[in-house]
Amino acid sequence: MSLAPILRKIFFVDLLKGLSVTFQYQDPKEIYTEQYPLERPAIAGRYRGLPRLNVNPDTRETLCIACDLCALACPEHLIVVKSERNAATKRKEVIAWAIDVSRCMFCGLCEDACPTDCLELSQDYEFATYSRDFILSRERLEKGSEPTVYKK
Amino acid sequence: MLQSFLQYLDSNVTLTPGAAGNYLWATVYVVVVIVGVSLAVLSMNWIERKALAHMQVRLGPMRVGPHGLLQPFADAIKLLVKEDIMPDGADKLVFWLAPVVIVITAWTTFLVVPFGPAHAITDMNIGVLFMLGVSSLSVLGIVMAGWASNSSYPLMGSLRSSAQMISYEVAMGLAVISAILMTGLNDTGIYFHHAVASAFPGVGTLSMIGIVQAQAEQGTWFVFKFFPFGLMAFVIFAIAMVAETNRAPFDLPEAESELVAGFHTEYSGFRWSLFMLAEYSGMLAVSSIAVTLWLGGWLRPFATWHGPRITIPHYWQGGALDFASSLLPAVVLFLLALVCFVGVVRMPKIPVFRIQMLGLAAFGGLLGFIGLVLLAPPVRDRIQDIFWFTFKLAVFMYLYIWYRATFPRYRFDQLMKVGWKVLLPVALGVLIVTAIVGVLR
Amino acid sequence: MTQPASTSPNTGDRTFLDSTEMVLNMGPQHPSTHGVLRVILKLDGEKVLGTECVIGYLHRGVEKIAENRTYAMFTPYVDRMDYVASVSNGLGYCLAIEKLLNTEAPLRAQYIRVIMTELNRLASHMVWLGTHALDIGAMTPLFYTFRDREEILKIFEKYCGARLTTHAFRIGGCIYEAYEGMEQEILKYCDFLEPKIDEYEQLLTTNRIWLERTKGVGVINGEDCIALGVTGPVLRASGVKWDLRKAQPYSSYEKFDFEIPTGPNGDTYDRYMVRIAEMRQSVRIIRQAVAGLPEGPIMAKIPKVLKPPVGEVYVSIEAPKGELGYFVVSDGTTQPYRVRVRPPSFVNLQALDKMVRGQLVADVVAVIGTLDIVLGEVDR
Repeated sequence: MSLAPILRKIFFVDLLKGLSVTFQYQDPKEIYTEQYPLERPAIAGRYRGLPRLNVNPDTRETLCIACDLCALACPEHLIVVKSERNAATKRKEVIAWAIDVSRCMFCGLCEDACPTDCLELSQDYEFATYSRDFILSRERLEKGSEPTVYKK
Repeated sequence: MLQSFLQYLDSNVTLTPGAAGNYLWATVYVVVVIVGVSLAVLSMNWIERKALAHMQVRLGPMRVGPHGLLQPFADAIKLLVKEDIMPDGADKLVFWLAPVVIVITAWTTFLVVPFGPAHAITDMNIGVLFMLGVSSLSVLGIVMAGWASNSSYPLMGSLRSSAQMISYEVAMGLAVISAILMTGLNDTGIYFHHAVASAFPGVGTLSMIGIVQAQAEQGTWFVFKFFPFGLMAFVIFAIAMVAETNRAPFDLPEAESELVAGFHTEYSGFRWSLFMLAEYSGMLAVSSIAVTLWLGGWLRPFATWHGPRITIPHYWQGGALDFASSLLPAVVLFLLALVCFVGVVRMPKIPVFRIQMLGLAAFGGLLGFIGLVLLAPPVRDRIQDIFWFTFKLAVFMYLYIWYRATFPRYRFDQLMKVGWKVLLPVALGVLIVTAIVGVLR
Repeated sequence: MTQPASTSPNTGDRTFLDSTEMVLNMGPQHPSTHGVLRVILKLDGEKVLGTECVIGYLHRGVEKIAENRTYAMFTPYVDRMDYVASVSNGLGYCLAIEKLLNTEAPLRAQYIRVIMTELNRLASHMVWLGTHALDIGAMTPLFYTFRDREEILKIFEKYCGARLTTHAFRIGGCIYEAYEGMEQEILKYCDFLEPKIDEYEQLLTTNRIWLERTKGVGVINGEDCIALGVTGPVLRASGVKWDLRKAQPYSSYEKFDFEIPTGPNGDTYDRYMVRIAEMRQSVRIIRQAVAGLPEGPIMAKIPKVLKPPVGEVYVSIEAPKGELGYFVVSDGTTQPYRVRVRPPSFVNLQALDKMVRGQLVADVVAVIGTLDIVLGEVDR
């Protein structure tokens, strides 16, 4: 039998190698903890968070054309769009738009289906509430979330 | 009246251990040591969580006090106010008694632990034997805990735990014997306070203080004596002591991911905290055996080198190296205070964190103040031995945490195999070779 | 963890007290069963005589849901089966429907699919390594692997918007184009990861405690694997060199140069070595795919309303856990008639009994970990 494995066994070389790895990681630069809520994560642009209805930034009018494609695309049938035909412009206008986020799986199929840029899954991930109002109306969706900023 | 009371306080105070002539001083010494051990356990709790966390690239407790410093207190309070549950059908007396037995045996071992040549509660001439014997008694407490829980899993866990502990005690004992053998190799055979030994040169001693003095007189720590056999005995003891205290990698009886959750499953609240206290005290006790027997106890490294003589008026007269080492405790505390202040500076400047900043700054200030106190000559001279002993204990505690972070755990049969088939023959071999080498010298 | 009970029925004048066998229930809630798995063990002291797995605690009726959704609507649901490696699930389903439609995704989409799938294989193996080491007692590799996996999840988030339930691919190709700087980021990640894999090996591979806990534990040989239908790293560690990426290449895997690691003995240690080697090969594939990423469209021309022709198709891919297969039956309408998923964890779990017989109780936990099961897949 060759000498090297015996020596490695006697001198605990394998155990010392493991010990050196854990020792090196004590360097404070290696700490990977993000101290939420002081340090918030950087969310990607494509993140699929809470839905949001966008409005035209100049006219503050909704971009929704009441085509109902988002409601048809949702796998769980969570979106309800109520529209009315405007006699003057001969176009459909959206009256009410609601989504049930308690069942939403944030798959993004509604976002893919929307032909305008109206429906978008925003970067909002902090929408836990104390009440059970999961059906978000159009006003809420256009306003977006205002999460409580915790300073601790 | 007052005179006689002062006389009672004064007269029987001596600086020799075991000679605290009256009950009051004996009680004071015991209380000081128990409080010290409890403080050590509390800080071990914090250090373990923080050090383990840093090795695992995370932070550990940060909220309960600046950098989690108040976490042990929060845990202690939580455990105290928890509901006291006793399983149905448990043997009430034994259930109550088991943690008491374990804690008492864990603390009794500290009767002979020497923090300095005159800093022990007592100095029995069978000190090491006493420590090993009393720590073996804790196995009884573990079996009682498992039995009284009236549930098969704690019973199995306690039997496994006790089997593990007694197996590794054999290897520990053999390693201890080879260190004791080395104490008898002294040329002068003269020990402080042991007049008997001076009449018989070449006689070893089991007294903890005597062992360290033997190392002092032989001018070498026993870990370096008869190289490599002193080192081998030390390594065997270091492995066996980790298994003795049920710590990783030998912590199968306590592991959560195994089927049996261990002997303290049914204990909650204060009773469980007693088990935890006893576990950490046991770690401290076996580490102090290791430090005393092999690492020179309270002796500083290179204790025989004194350096050139320097004189600082009203402050120091003696060797330069002794002077540097005497400043070391204060320097360590100043460094810790500096770390605290760096932490204060780096804290987020948010109003809510103000109280944490103040707390940390106050803690740093306290550490700095203690450091200043340690610079005063009367304190400085007395604190030397205690500092070195505590420092070596701290190194061992850090090693415990490091092992826990790194190693997977042994399965029970592999654990027993290591204890009986590997450590025991090697310890026996080292003992025989040490004896032969000692005789030949 | 519940109380032990005895199993031998009263036969004649033998009572249950005469039996040395004990039945132990590793209940659905257990720190080590990787989900809600119930394992009933029959023990003789510490030795395992037999096991029975009770599953179904995570059954959500995914295959039934498929019958009531259109083909495109069902894609988000398949991510939830093997939630640790969700990109593979999506890939398998999209490939199956594309085969049913007789189309193929364009080449750029195929390369992007390969990159994402291999990153997802890395993430899955990292979860496996961390949790397996944790079961055996080493608690730190968990944190290291999860930290490195975090970077992959950030890439997924930037690419498709979600970290875990990615829904990255669509039928006919990809809907998400590679984001700006994706290639550089992925290459940087590959450079970052290779020394980390060396570190995991440094912690575990030669560690004597790890070797004692994993060598000779849970042995299964090649013939038994094939007889039971076990696939994936478990099969390869038993010596059978079978990988669907080489045997039945899909999504342009034939264009990449990589090796299939195998192990000699089929024990836990070999499965560990095979998965570590697979991680290195995945990095190799990712580098080649990023270097050779072609230009072009990312979505094939398929109708908006999908009505595949009547027929059935079975498409299987090499998921990180084994062969993941989709059997889709179409009756000509917009909703599938039947979607049957062949989950690798479900079939691999059946090998548990063979692997732990004769081993000690403490090894059952190690073997469940080494099979790398995800209950979401087992139960669907």
